[in-house]
Amino acid sequence: MARGGATRARDRFYALCVAPSLAVLAVITLAPAIYLLVTSFTPLDLTRPETAWNFARPFENYRQMPADSRLMNSLWVQAKLSFWTVTLQLLIGFGFALLLNMRSRFLEALRTVFLIPMVLPPIVVAIIWKVLYTPDISPLHWGTTLLGFTVPALITHPDWALTAIIIADTWQWFPFTMLMTLAALQMMPQEMVDAAKVDGASAWQMTWHVTLPFLKGVLLVAGLFRLIDSIKAFPLIFILTEGGPGSVTEVTNYYSFLQAFNFSFLGYSSAITVVMLAATVLMSWAIIRLVGWGQHGD
Amino acid sequence: MATNTALARERRFIQILAVVLAALVMAPFLWLLQMSFKTNAQVFQFPPPLIFTPTLENYEALWTSGFRQSFVNSLVVAGAATIAPMLLGVPAAYALSRWQARIAGTFSLWILVSRMAPPIAFTIPYFLAYRHLELLDTRTGLVIIYMTFNLSLVIWMMRPFFDQLPRALEEAAWIDGATTAQGFFRIILPLSAPGLAATAILCFLFAWNDFFFALILTRTEAMTAPVAVVNFMNYEGWEWGRIAAGGTMVMLPVLLFSLLVRKYLVHGLTGGAVKG
Repeated sequence: MARGGATRARDRFYALCVAPSLAVLAVITLAPAIYLLVTSFTPLDLTRPETAWNFARPFENYRQMPADSRLMNSLWVQAKLSFWTVTLQLLIGFGFALLLNMRSRFLEALRTVFLIPMVLPPIVVAIIWKVLYTPDISPLHWGTTLLGFTVPALITHPDWALTAIIIADTWQWFPFTMLMTLAALQMMPQEMVDAAKVDGASAWQMTWHVTLPFLKGVLLVAGLFRLIDSIKAFPLIFILTEGGPGSVTEVTNYYSFLQAFNFSFLGYSSAITVVMLAATVLMSWAIIRLVGWGQHGD
Repeated sequence: MATNTALARERRFIQILAVVLAALVMAPFLWLLQMSFKTNAQVFQFPPPLIFTPTLENYEALWTSGFRQSFVNSLVVAGAATIAPMLLGVPAAYALSRWQARIAGTFSLWILVSRMAPPIAFTIPYFLAYRHLELLDTRTGLVIIYMTFNLSLVIWMMRPFFDQLPRALEEAAWIDGATTAQGFFRIILPLSAPGLAATAILCFLFAWNDFFFALILTRTEAMTAPVAVVNFMNYEGWEWGRIAAGGTMVMLPVLLFSLLVRKYLVHGLTGGAVKG
């Protein structure tokens, strides 16, 4: 009986530890999420107060979405941005990780340098690339002129603006996939490497048949994380192009921001955001399934 | 012997290649840094002067403007948005690590989603609510919204740390008559000091780096440093030297801190999905 009492006291202590966090999280994340969902059923427009809490046609916002060509365009821009940034970040991150995965004090010290883009405040990354993409003050433009090319100002050129964003985003985030790959490479069992060497595998065969299959899971998770993050891309677009020229760099997140805080259509913007949030939940769920995170003893 | 020299040559080649790539990756960042020490005329000068007398005038101009207030706001808000989630989240992480309850599993999706959700998903409801609660343009308002991601961060960073500490530690203390609370405060917490430090630093960085929430929820009084730099770009013309100086000041604390927690960076960004 005494043992049972101790267990109960322990359970009480644990409950006491979890309860405040649970309560606070519920208030600050769950309640707003519900509020967002409710708002998405109203035609809320801040310039017309009577539109608040008006549930006459709850699904009107959702019905409008497929017919909104600007929204559809933003989804396409988003798809292009996500595809290219995730692909490039995985390729470059993987390549650099293979290169840096050598037992060498010098290379280990050098790895820190590669982390810098990722830890910089996003706004600073945006300023850096604004400078590099502004012809008057850009060493890139000066360099290409010396070589005899004239490169247009990328961020104001309809054909190049999205590419400019992709380059900047890739620079910022390839260290993330690199770090994840490096961490996994260091857990690769030495016997696997040795066995392949004994069998006379070339470096190329080793990468393709041994390393890559071993890293499959990590690369998938890293890609998913980057994919979710690419939906949130904001500072780069806000500073570099403001969605333009025209709407060639206007991703869904940015369009939703414009609807809410420039046009003050908060109801419609909420509906778009609910869809984005649902996509996030789905992908987060996939991550949890993949890594088995949340189970005990993982 | 022949293979040894070939190996050494390959090694040297890889190291040189790595240095070249590192220089390339660093170049954009270094360019901003050197710009902050130039006068506006020098910024437009090409070919760029290799040797120039660095000037601090950009920093001085910045410090005597409204930027100083924004910098202080950033410090205060990020500090509070570190302490509050740590106080709430650390005990919760411990309980979730030790408690054999179903609650732990269902918790993880919720926590991951509140970390990964697009900021606008929280911004819209907070913006609407803050208009009535009079929390727009206040530091308190910012701290509360930063809790949405920092409290989740603390819980998912600290839980794996606690998982690694053997249960035998507390069990020995319990046998000696310690309560669960004593076991936690006297045995477990001191042992997890490195994890606590890393988590606190990451909380600070995430709050410090935020741009979107502060852009929408603040106007003048509570404006943070990143928003101030951007306003500067939009309203005071293209004073590139000063913009560079502002950017440098925003990134300085970040660079210092993140080098300290290098080891835990991946862990913090992926919620322990990968143990780096």
